[in-house]
Amino acid sequence: MIKNHPIEPEEVMAYLDGELSPERAAAAGAHLEDCAECQGLGAELRGVSQNLKQWNLALPNGRIADKLTAARDTHWDEGQATTTAKFNWLNPLRLRFPSLAWIGIAATILTIIVISSTPNRTLFQQAAPQRADLRVAPGDITAFGQGDGRAPAQSASPNAKAIDRLERSIQLNQPPAEHFTPRNSDSAAMPLPTGPMIIRTAGVTIITKDFDPARARVEGIVRQHHGYVGELNVTGATGSGRTLQATLRIPANELDAALNEIKKLGRVEGESQNGQDVTSQYVDLQARLTNARNTEQRLTDLLRERTGKLSDVLAVETELSRVRGEIEQMEAERKTMLNQVTFATLNATVTEDYQAQLQVVPPSTSTRLVNAAIDGYRSMVDGLLSVTLFLLSAVPSLLLWGAILFFPARFAWKKLRRSITA
Amino acid sequence: MISDEALMLEFQGGSRAAFEELFARYREPLYGFFRRRLNRPERAEDLTQETFLAILHAVNHYEPRALFRTYLYGIALKLLAAERRKGRRDGQGVGSDPEPTTQDSPDAALWIRQALARLEEPEREILMLREYEQLSYVEIAELLHLPVNTVRSRLFRARMALKNYLDPQEETHSVMATRATESVAALGTEEEAQQ
Repeated sequence: MIKNHPIEPEEVMAYLDGELSPERAAAAGAHLEDCAECQGLGAELRGVSQNLKQWNLALPNGRIADKLTAARDTHWDEGQATTTAKFNWLNPLRLRFPSLAWIGIAATILTIIVISSTPNRTLFQQAAPQRADLRVAPGDITAFGQGDGRAPAQSASPNAKAIDRLERSIQLNQPPAEHFTPRNSDSAAMPLPTGPMIIRTAGVTIITKDFDPARARVEGIVRQHHGYVGELNVTGATGSGRTLQATLRIPANELDAALNEIKKLGRVEGESQNGQDVTSQYVDLQARLTNARNTEQRLTDLLRERTGKLSDVLAVETELSRVRGEIEQMEAERKTMLNQVTFATLNATVTEDYQAQLQVVPPSTSTRLVNAAIDGYRSMVDGLLSVTLFLLSAVPSLLLWGAILFFPARFAWKKLRRSITA
Repeated sequence: MISDEALMLEFQGGSRAAFEELFARYREPLYGFFRRRLNRPERAEDLTQETFLAILHAVNHYEPRALFRTYLYGIALKLLAAERRKGRRDGQGVGSDPEPTTQDSPDAALWIRQALARLEEPEREILMLREYEQLSYVEIAELLHLPVNTVRSRLFRARMALKNYLDPQEETHSVMATRATESVAALGTEEEAQQ
């Protein structure tokens, strides 16, 4: 700090550079107005900057601009900004597969098979609707609405309809088309959520006296709110109450209404609600999916347009297979997440309020006689059956041993009798 | 005016016009950045081009966590470091051109260049980033991985040292020393020729 100055010399410099905080800048400005020494320092610093400005440089007659423009245009034509430079991307693949020459004839045959099948797969992927499998959602199998006589594949289930509605409501975020059109149309149509995406889960435990009507009512509530039953189990032993445990999938916007109606079925013993925000996960997943599709498109283009060494083609094919596997996995994950957001999960447990009853009336005499006769008959049949079974199982063995021991026994008997007689 | 960061995001979304605008804004400053630090003008052009190509290639990885200028000059500094390493390996000097192309008088440029050459390398880099690239203290600190206070004190030291080097008396001594060196060199050449 300059002696007796409230600000340091470095702060004078920072003040002139506009790099001081507002408070310090105010203090420095006030001090500079009064302090000739600091004004001199400021003038020196400004002088240095002024001197340095004398070293001006100009672009050499637009040469660099032309050179850069040409390089940029070339690069853009080779596949927009994401394409790797000068196609050096093959180098790491080569490192990964240092030598494939030993594969020989087997590799050649494999390559021919793979190359011949690639255009078909690409064509199929382009022609297939992106959400075709959403039309046949898991909910179609267990939905109560399947009794309307329509085949699941022909009718859009409530599940698929709801997911379609959600995706339509999502705003599309497309790049400006006037300057750049992405090669992969999938990435352009990738929807981004405009609001939060919440996976809602609720649970409720009810005790009811009228179990059967309650069960029917649960099914009615699910049908009324366009949901479906994910799982439903009824358990109950003699002498105890029955219990219904159901996992219901209800459209998220109708969850509260459905929950309120279920709570009216009896006495509420427990209730819980949970919400998980998956917006960032969904956006991240979509971004990764878009990148993977772009990579797939570039690899496909490269395979189609460029010819190279056999090892390179094989390496590209391997990479392509890996990328496609990732895409399928991410797509499945995305659909699952959408389904979970669209349909809230409601775990309902309905327990019968069981009242034990005492048996006070004894059975009649005739009933007891008939029962005794039936029991006697059963005992007789069981005895006969047991003897028969014993004989059938023992007689073959007895006959065998009898045949074996007959002659020795007779010889021994005769010898014994002769000795007694003698 | 649209910010650099917004343009970069538009470019990331596929807008070619956004890249054109960024290119127009920074091609000249970037060329100046390399030209002031390298001997050969053609290498400055090449590295300017490579910096923009690096931006093109890495557009998908760009995240607007820092200013675009920091991002751009970060790439430029890395390319410059690689160029200097390559120059050292090949045994070539990569310093500034003794007689760079200037809009003003070459003498003024030489005078400033000689003064800058006398600064310590870290202080010179900070000073040049501030004076020519117009980066803030924070941006310089991020680029060079230094604390902001260190940047400020080094910048102050560099400016004060440069003030002394640019002093007319110092300049006179410097020019005289240069001329004396040239005279000795010329004398040596003549003696060799005579032998």
